[in-house]
Amino acid sequence: MASIPMPHDPFLSWFGIDHGVIRRVLTVLGARGADHGELYFQHDRSSHIAMRDGIVGEAYTSIDQGVGMRVVVGDQVGYAYTEDLTEAAMLGAARTAAAIAAGNDAVVPPVDVTTAELGDRYRIDLPWADIGVQARLDLVQKAEALTKAKNPAIKKVRVSLSDSEQRILIATLEGHIVVDERPMSRLWVNTTATRDGETQSNGSNLAGRHGMDWYTDERLDTVATEAVDRTMILFDAVRPKAGEWPVVLAAGASGILLHEAIGHGMEADFNRKGESIYSEMLGRSVAPEFVTVVDDGTQEGERGALNVDDEGTPAGKTLLVENGVLRSYLHDRISAKHYGIAATGSGRRESFRHTPMPRMRSTYMESGPHDPDEIIKSVDYGIVAETFTNGQVQIGAGDFTFYIKNGWLIEGGRKTAPIKDINIIGNGPEALKAVTMVGNDSKLDSGGWTCGKNGQGVPVSQGMPTVLVSKLNVGGSDA
Amino acid sequence: MHDAAQLQELKTRAEQAVSAALTAGASDAFCDADRSRNVELEMRDGQLEKVQEATSRSLQVQLWVDGRYGAHATTDLRPDRLTAFLADAVALTRALEPDQHRQITDPVLYEGRPKVDLQQVDPAVVAMSREDAIALLSEVHAPLGGTPQLISATSGVNHGHSLTVRTSSNGFTGSQEDSALWISAALTLRGEGDRRPEGGMWAGARYRDDVPAPDWVAAEATRRATDVLDARMGPTKNTTLIAQPSTAGMLLARLMQPAHGSAVQQGRSFWADRVGKVVISPLLTVTDDPLLPRGFGSRLFDGEGIASRKRTMIADGALQDLYVDTYNASKLGRAPTTSDPSNRVIAPGSRGLEDLIGATSDGYLVTDWLGGNMDPTTGDFSFGMRGFRLAGGARAQAVGEMNVTGNIVDLFARLAEVGDDPWPFSSIGAPTLVFDKVQFSGV
Repeated sequence: MASIPMPHDPFLSWFGIDHGVIRRVLTVLGARGADHGELYFQHDRSSHIAMRDGIVGEAYTSIDQGVGMRVVVGDQVGYAYTEDLTEAAMLGAARTAAAIAAGNDAVVPPVDVTTAELGDRYRIDLPWADIGVQARLDLVQKAEALTKAKNPAIKKVRVSLSDSEQRILIATLEGHIVVDERPMSRLWVNTTATRDGETQSNGSNLAGRHGMDWYTDERLDTVATEAVDRTMILFDAVRPKAGEWPVVLAAGASGILLHEAIGHGMEADFNRKGESIYSEMLGRSVAPEFVTVVDDGTQEGERGALNVDDEGTPAGKTLLVENGVLRSYLHDRISAKHYGIAATGSGRRESFRHTPMPRMRSTYMESGPHDPDEIIKSVDYGIVAETFTNGQVQIGAGDFTFYIKNGWLIEGGRKTAPIKDINIIGNGPEALKAVTMVGNDSKLDSGGWTCGKNGQGVPVSQGMPTVLVSKLNVGGSDA
Repeated sequence: MHDAAQLQELKTRAEQAVSAALTAGASDAFCDADRSRNVELEMRDGQLEKVQEATSRSLQVQLWVDGRYGAHATTDLRPDRLTAFLADAVALTRALEPDQHRQITDPVLYEGRPKVDLQQVDPAVVAMSREDAIALLSEVHAPLGGTPQLISATSGVNHGHSLTVRTSSNGFTGSQEDSALWISAALTLRGEGDRRPEGGMWAGARYRDDVPAPDWVAAEATRRATDVLDARMGPTKNTTLIAQPSTAGMLLARLMQPAHGSAVQQGRSFWADRVGKVVISPLLTVTDDPLLPRGFGSRLFDGEGIASRKRTMIADGALQDLYVDTYNASKLGRAPTTSDPSNRVIAPGSRGLEDLIGATSDGYLVTDWLGGNMDPTTGDFSFGMRGFRLAGGARAQAVGEMNVTGNIVDLFARLAEVGDDPWPFSSIGAPTLVFDKVQFSGV
């Protein structure tokens, strides 16, 4: 797709940014003092093609490059960035970022640098940059044909394929340098169907840090089937009665509950400022003992996978809740210093234009002791939540929401009718206490989730076994 | 304000990109070259916590290559790389399938560009120094410290200035410049048990003189946080909904969300067979006014270069027309209007929020939305909310953790009254809206 091959280290190969340049910029960055600080170089190449009304007639590509520079003094952050990777521009940005520090004790980066051994969690055999346009067209056309063939009621199919390759280089004032290559891709299938004069639309997607070979015929068929089934079922969907009801979270994407109800509240920046409802709850029992919740950057190929976070800390696995007890926040370097512990590799940022902060990676609940069918049978009136569009949380009050696109009504222990377009609200700690059954079928969702916080979006994953929450506020029709 | 050299630099870059694209084989090209400067400061608990400053620039080019379309962007502006980038972009675009509807804007639509000063750039905002911004930040912050039950108080100042030059291969040239200054305050308070309710306020304007006083923003944030200290779930019921101006804009945005040619053409719009038909309350009149002085959505031309003009979008209970760009107009077999919304101006009623609350015997006032979504194909929605239960014409109890559910067309069919108090901090100037018979989920 590109006439100029992408080197392993574009910053050195294309811009001449060697250790000498890095050290000179770091020296200016640390000239007014710093507890720590870093340069975050980024080069992204991305492409997106879309098929609409049977024609793959639009494409979008971008090159985004630059360097973000941060100085941290206590809780204070000075930040600047530039897309101009000449030494003069970088020195100017470094002076701007350094201005927040008022001290005279300059921090001088060491001459000798150290490099870290990183994981290898998203290597792809054939880089997206080496794949031609025709192969992308073939993939999109195949997905469209599969989808159209599923049901004659499908009147419109829109398919799009996005891929990107990100290269980063992080150089810290302590003299550590790490580099990483991060692929990402996503295939969307959106469908519109008509039946008896009524129109419904929905879709499905596949996403991860994968190459072209991940999009097998089997996976394409799965995403096409999901898109069609999730659309067609809307014609028969109803809304439950408004009020508080038991909610069964289906295995997979229901991890959105964890993301909103506990994940954000466990990000340590909110806790060190006292702004999270979980600020004074570490070590407390917050859920039944069969509840264990993990945030994990180590799962190969997942959107939330990281070899290293965006501050240069190797990414690991963090137990948020272990057997019902609140164990650890998610830390960046600032919060780790505040609490006097090691960072958890959770310092993430949207791009070089943004300061890093504690973020989730892949958040999921481990399997529990219950049979998923028994969970459904235990509910007299309630709902099953299957697919979702979005969620949100108030960090301090602890109130969270998530929006159900598809699900089921449960009456008398049986799924009786599909439901659609329902918002759910609960309170994080209360919802955790109200987890009464956890299925033995935990699985990650393969959809392309993006988490938003303070105006920054980062890719994440989420997963869940079948879970019963005994009571949540369910949007619905007249009671 | 921009200097002549900056404008010329962007103009040259855009023209060169169009020329390079044509040389590489494009039939047509439309290019934006931009430069922006943004400064962001935060203070927490009396200490300056974050200072971020940056000047950014990029190039975006839309290409039409033998009936194919591509949009490409880069921040690597080194001349040799830009040439290679454009050549790659043309080659990629050419490899797509032809679509007869992909055409550059008809140049006739560039004509008639209004010759008015939209007052989009305030020299006082452009010239703000770090010291000015820190002084303003401190003014917002100072009143926050005395709040009872305070755990954490944060204030913010954000100011920016951007300049974009656009040029096309078929005769369009233009530039757009704007400034903005925003101030904010947020508080976290100690509530019942482990709860730490938060509240905040953002306010901004193109001109510094239009930004509200810092102590008003601080007082609003404090009131919003204090209001929800004892919030609890209210009863499940079907009753009146009052959306105050800060929350009414979301409902109007949802109502207008699928009023686009692309959504209608793709069968993903509840407006599809309803344009021109009376389906909502005649109380709502919405005008799209790109020529509003100092408006956040003001412009002399739209994203396709089409000359701006005022349009009535909703009147007499009916959507009058869609937002339709060149591509979707061709697919729908009609003329384009404009690609996207500018300022939405709502015809006001005769009284404001407090009077409308005073006239409500039973209902809920929405002060914040929390999550939720809407299906643009059907209009079915469900949103989380917090606010107040209203009884006897007054706020009776703070409520939270509740949902509002229905269909957006049905909701606006039950629009009972429109306030006279448009929200000034958005391109949607929504006043208070009152709706009858809305379904709330609570206890």
